[in-house]
Amino acid sequence: MGYVAVKGGTEAIEASLARLKYDRIKGEEIVEIKTVLATMRPLVDQVMSEASLYAPFLAALAIKQAGGSMEEAVFLLRAHRSTLPRHYYSETVDTEDMFVERRISASFKDIPGGQLLGSTNDYTHRLLDFNLVTEKKEDHQAWLRQFQEQMNEHDADKELQFFPKVVDYLREEGLFETYDLDDTPPKDITKESIQFPTGRSERLQALTRGQTGAVTSLGYASLRGYGQVHPTIGEVRMGDVPIHVKHPYEEESDPDDLFYIGDVKITEVESLVPVNVKKQNQKEELEFEIGYGISFGQNETKAIAMSILDQCLENSHGEFPTHDEEFVLLHIDSVESTGFISHLKLPHYVTFQSKLDSVRQVKKGGTTNDD
Amino acid sequence: MKRKQRTEILIQDGGVLAKELAEIVMQDYEYHEIEEPHYGLTMIKLRETAKKSLFYLGEVLVTEAKVEVHQSIGIGIVIGMEEELAKHLAIIDAAYRAELPETVEWQEKLEEVAKQIYQQKVKQQAEILKTKVNFETMEV
Repeated sequence: MGYVAVKGGTEAIEASLARLKYDRIKGEEIVEIKTVLATMRPLVDQVMSEASLYAPFLAALAIKQAGGSMEEAVFLLRAHRSTLPRHYYSETVDTEDMFVERRISASFKDIPGGQLLGSTNDYTHRLLDFNLVTEKKEDHQAWLRQFQEQMNEHDADKELQFFPKVVDYLREEGLFETYDLDDTPPKDITKESIQFPTGRSERLQALTRGQTGAVTSLGYASLRGYGQVHPTIGEVRMGDVPIHVKHPYEEESDPDDLFYIGDVKITEVESLVPVNVKKQNQKEELEFEIGYGISFGQNETKAIAMSILDQCLENSHGEFPTHDEEFVLLHIDSVESTGFISHLKLPHYVTFQSKLDSVRQVKKGGTTNDD
Repeated sequence: MKRKQRTEILIQDGGVLAKELAEIVMQDYEYHEIEEPHYGLTMIKLRETAKKSLFYLGEVLVTEAKVEVHQSIGIGIVIGMEEELAKHLAIIDAAYRAELPETVEWQEKLEEVAKQIYQQKVKQQAEILKTKVNFETMEV
């Protein structure tokens, strides 16, 4: 399709921008960034995850500026990200170093270290809480004080616990294939467009920055029969992982001389997927493979759906779209999909007029250029 | 104290000790800001646990500063928009690179704060461990 620029409309556009501002402020209420950060963390996490930029304050600002529109907030944060220089690559993050806030398994009742429910909506009644209409800060302060006092009563002389991965125990039992560390340098889809067939690093990067709704829908489609993956969750864990970088000029690589720069909160999922594997005697045997999902912040639905799609894309299957990497990876990006759909409402006068002319010709009994 | 442990304490402390230590250097030594605190990105490289391969998780916003103290250049890098902390970290890093005598005295303070941070984490974890669940399967 050819594109033709339009011009004019400056005054109308300025007036439109004024109306946009009017709509944002006419209620004469201001949402503070700190309010968004303190009270809407899942929303902030989702924007960071889809923008592929961990920056809670900027994500909250984007949410405020966008008036709560997810697609606009993600677009704003991605656009801002493109203005910033990238100075460092982190050292490899190992999620066993996570300060775990939540860790559950749907496969095993008893996992080493135990299941920690942490903070979750999973067991709430999903009834609207009308007390929130009249809640007061004073009530919060009293509740928080009590919570803090309870926490301070704990014995501080214990050892801090780090939790092993559930899949590692299964590997030790020989139930899963073990892999050596693969140090192949990953590809970066923000530097180089995805090329098909993709490598594993490209797929995982594209999936983790995918739109939550799109990733969830395609993962769900696989479960419903438009794919061949139906997993059981081996482990969902959520918490903070430490990030380290090397000194940019020092050549010595003493790990104790790294910079610790802070923590990021992530959700990580390992799904256990049964697969039939043909053995040397031509008999099929049931084995398990692992689907991997991860997301910035706490976003368990997306991470679980990603683990399904990871496994789908590891095993291409012509019959199902969820196993087609081009279908999945090129349609889950928030900015690309909402941007393309949304551009359809922008002026397309010339191309549409040309189509109309063709239809008029046909109606008159003539021929079109396509004939 | 090596940089990894030092930066962990100074950042997890929320910048209180970093301010105190950097101010000692600023009072007693000339310092020169080579790069004022500015924002940039760090790409996070992660090892996935299914096939043990590497991939890029996404970027994180960082604040970075570079400061020269006593002919030694120090770098401060911290996640978030933390201009003051980045500058203080850079000054402290420069002080250690220059082997200023003050850094020897800081060891005790750093260890004390490290202990407090650790104990606070233990208490936080104990509170989280209250949500440890023991599901029981029912007879069908």
